[in-house]
Amino acid sequence: MSMFSSIRTFLDFLFRRKRVEREMEDELRSHLQIRADDLERRGLSRAEAERQARIEFGGYQRYKEECREALGTRLAAELVADLRYGLRQLRRNPGFTAVAVLTLALGIGANTAIFGLLDAVMLRSLPVRNPSQLVVFRWKARRGPGYHGYSGFGDCTVSNAGPNPSGCSFSYPFFTEIRSKARAFSGVTAFAGPAQLDVSGNGAPSIARGEIVSGDYFSTLGIGAAVGRTIGPGDDSPRASPVIVLDYAYWQSAFGGERSALGRTLILNNVPFTIVGVADRRFTNLSPGKAQDFWLPIAMAPRLGISWAADLRSADNWWLVVLGRLKPGVSRGQAQAATGLLFRDEMLHGAKPLSKPQDDPQIALLPAQRGLTGVRFFYSTSLFVLMAAVGIILLIACANVAGLLLSRAKARYKEMAVRLAVGAGRARILRQLLTESVMLSCIAGALGVAFAYWGLYAIEALMSTPEGDAFPFVVSPDGRILGFTVAISLLTGILFGLAPAFRGTRLDLTPALKESASTAPDRSRARRGFRLGSALVVIQVGLSVVVLVGAGLLVRTLENLRAINPGFDTRNVLLFGINPALAGYTDAQIQNLYRNLQEGLAALPGVVSVSYSSDALLSGSLWSTTVHVHGQSEKQAPTDALAIGPGFFRTLGIPLVDGRRFTPEDFRQAAKADALEKAAEKEANAAPPASGRAPAARPAPLIPILVNRAFVRKYVANHNPLGKLLSLGMSETASKPSPYKWQIVGIVGDAKYSELKEAVQPTMYVPATSGGAHFEVRTAGNPTALIPAVRNAANRVNSRLPLFDIHTQSQKIDDLLVNQRFMARLGSFFGALAVLLACVGLYGLLSYEVTRRTREIGIRMALGAQRGDVLRNVAGQGLILALMGIGCGVAAALALTRLVGNLLYGVKPTDPLTFAAVSLILLGVALLACYIPARRAAKVDPMIALRYE
Amino acid sequence: MNNQAQILPGTLDLLILKAVSLGPLHGYGVLLRIGQISRGALVIEQGALYPALFRLVRQGLLKSEWGISENNHRAKYYELTTGGRKRLREETEGWNRLVAAIGSVLGAQPEEL
Repeated sequence: MSMFSSIRTFLDFLFRRKRVEREMEDELRSHLQIRADDLERRGLSRAEAERQARIEFGGYQRYKEECREALGTRLAAELVADLRYGLRQLRRNPGFTAVAVLTLALGIGANTAIFGLLDAVMLRSLPVRNPSQLVVFRWKARRGPGYHGYSGFGDCTVSNAGPNPSGCSFSYPFFTEIRSKARAFSGVTAFAGPAQLDVSGNGAPSIARGEIVSGDYFSTLGIGAAVGRTIGPGDDSPRASPVIVLDYAYWQSAFGGERSALGRTLILNNVPFTIVGVADRRFTNLSPGKAQDFWLPIAMAPRLGISWAADLRSADNWWLVVLGRLKPGVSRGQAQAATGLLFRDEMLHGAKPLSKPQDDPQIALLPAQRGLTGVRFFYSTSLFVLMAAVGIILLIACANVAGLLLSRAKARYKEMAVRLAVGAGRARILRQLLTESVMLSCIAGALGVAFAYWGLYAIEALMSTPEGDAFPFVVSPDGRILGFTVAISLLTGILFGLAPAFRGTRLDLTPALKESASTAPDRSRARRGFRLGSALVVIQVGLSVVVLVGAGLLVRTLENLRAINPGFDTRNVLLFGINPALAGYTDAQIQNLYRNLQEGLAALPGVVSVSYSSDALLSGSLWSTTVHVHGQSEKQAPTDALAIGPGFFRTLGIPLVDGRRFTPEDFRQAAKADALEKAAEKEANAAPPASGRAPAARPAPLIPILVNRAFVRKYVANHNPLGKLLSLGMSETASKPSPYKWQIVGIVGDAKYSELKEAVQPTMYVPATSGGAHFEVRTAGNPTALIPAVRNAANRVNSRLPLFDIHTQSQKIDDLLVNQRFMARLGSFFGALAVLLACVGLYGLLSYEVTRRTREIGIRMALGAQRGDVLRNVAGQGLILALMGIGCGVAAALALTRLVGNLLYGVKPTDPLTFAAVSLILLGVALLACYIPARRAAKVDPMIALRYE
Repeated sequence: MNNQAQILPGTLDLLILKAVSLGPLHGYGVLLRIGQISRGALVIEQGALYPALFRLVRQGLLKSEWGISENNHRAKYYELTTGGRKRLREETEGWNRLVAAIGSVLGAQPEEL
């Protein structure tokens, strides 16, 4: 009872303090009245009776105080008194209060903002019912299983190359097997994607993201519908009518949140789907940072022509992430043992064994919260580095305010001495001083939350790509973030308040009381105070060096990345994507369409030339394969590959080094070869493999290709590359070589393909004959100005197909650098903040010193010291501190910057230039911070200084 | 005067609980009742009663309510709670045991040993 009831009385006291006091007073008075009545009845006069009653009662005030203690309200009363007194103190020194609150608010605000970000990216729990019951399946084996197709969509980390591969994609048959046989789960569901789908039937055609999910996805996750219904098991059957459920945000943006969207039909890749509902607003995504526009049942996937979901029966195409919800009372280990057996059995003894016993295929069940990483890993290092930076800034802020309090504590010597002299306990005074500092930090915390709000908006804007691909996480303040703020505010208050409070209460009464308040009470004590203050300044400068060095390295990284020569002309190029294959166009129709588009766009005024390729350069996409070059020992030479349209090299400005570019004849030949290959594949699939008939042996024409210099350097260094024949890469054990497929007809300069940071890989360019494409439009002027004209021209050629991903090439490159740019900017901001705070600390300390030493300086000047001597003396004192701080900071930074090593590019963590520049900057700013108080010292008039007092 | 006794430390709470157990009382009434039962043998300084009363309320042994006294004063009346009743029982037993034990020690005769 006592804990609870004392909290209650305490709260009672805080909120009903007056009432409790009044009731107590009433009760005691009524006692005196009744007693006086009694005495009056015994014959005393009224006045006499009242006097007698008071005497009998005893020490009225003393008992009242005891009553308060009995009620447990004394502590609260003292707290209220301390708060009031503290508030009065803060109001009396508005300058001090403003600086301290602002300093702390910046520190707390920065921490809250970055913690909010960290919380959104790393810590937020899955938006599903009982997330702790949810597990994600992960396979591992000594050697990769013999699947033919493997697709991952960034839901979890994959390492399916190299030794001990693992991943979390499975085949559809395995999923159904687990669903029907595993007893440990109350539900099992699978999902994949999102797939890019062509959407029509709702205004202009567009491209949207459809997540492919099993029928029990929503029920297993425990997610309801905002409107209508979710997908149910009945929808996930080839005979069911196709339905989709919209994402809430997509419903808002594409349908304006209209309920009439329900029941409407959307055409996805030429298949009509009925909208049956909208998912719960809070369910934005499962894996962190991945989003979708709608969900559709797995059973419908084969109809959409999505290559990786074409055949559900296939056991060697792995593409589904499998989630299970553990039955209550079943542990993860039990479920793992049971499903592991099923998996092993399926892999070794299934209809088509994919692993050998010595591969030891296993299943691990991970908590979904941990296993589904999404794009989290992309941000995690950056966020932890930022968190460390703001943590350091908070330390600087604390040291700063501790320094301020310290100099104020000296001003309050007399007050403390008087209080101690009249009998206040040391603990009591300590409590009061701590109350003051915690109050200060709480005010700062409230202001800090405001800063954090503003900061988070700015950060989200920074994290978004230039043309508005939003930062894929929802940063919203929740209880945890506010709890964090409250916690660090309290902690901060105690941290910076503790040392000055202890110092403030440890004093020798007699001299403190004797001295007048304005002179330093005791020289050795003051020196000691200055030493502690100096130490705090050294710490501040040192910490700010660490932050600034980190920021400097990140800025240099961004500069280095910007200075990379991508090998082609990135200025004035407009990109857009188009995918007629989704809408069911044949290869011939696609070729025709692209030719018309190229002509139509090239005719626009302001367009220099037009081409297309299977992927845009530096967009993050990559097609890589392995080849075997005739006459080379390497059977599996890894190479990047890109299918390109006519005029590609000219449009992008990639130089031809040797040989020739593609001719129209090359494209015709490639198309013919492609068609033959497809026909052969069809034949092979149709004929049962048991018939033993060899695949069609019709000779396909060779496809002419160009390769880059890196390819030549690596694979055909000592021969004439022109005319060389290439085949697909062969496994080491293959009995006979695959037929030659390509012939090198030209060599071009190296150009970056998927990544800006990495060296150019060997790359082959093949003629584009099928599939979707990204168009490159080189313009004479600003490419964004041409977007409407390009759209119109494309519409004139074909109004049914949506253009997507419309960017300029430089925007694409900016997109690749979004993380680095964000880190460089935020890092610089925090670096500047750290330096500012440290210099305010230095300035404050010296200002106080000058005030304290006014009389001493006056005497020196009266004895003949020159203004210059005084200036040098004071500024020198500050500069020594700054130099010591810089020294400590450089040493600490040398040890710490290794931790950001993998965020850097082209600059070593110990880059001497950065360290030197940071030291110089700090020295410069410190000089300024010292100069102002030093000049004030030099202006001291000896007459006034000595006459004073 | 010489038949009056100072109360032992710690026994005030017990006396209050007993007094209140006989019927709800206001503070002054508690004093009167203790005086009445002990026939004036026990003296309590009047003011000292209140911290004890507040402590007992806070411990949940007493509950209080404002009412009107016999001569028309607003006064706070105290009453035992269930917990208070239990505590009174336990303390009474404890006290009796203590008194019996001390009594037998003090009354011991040499031949009994």
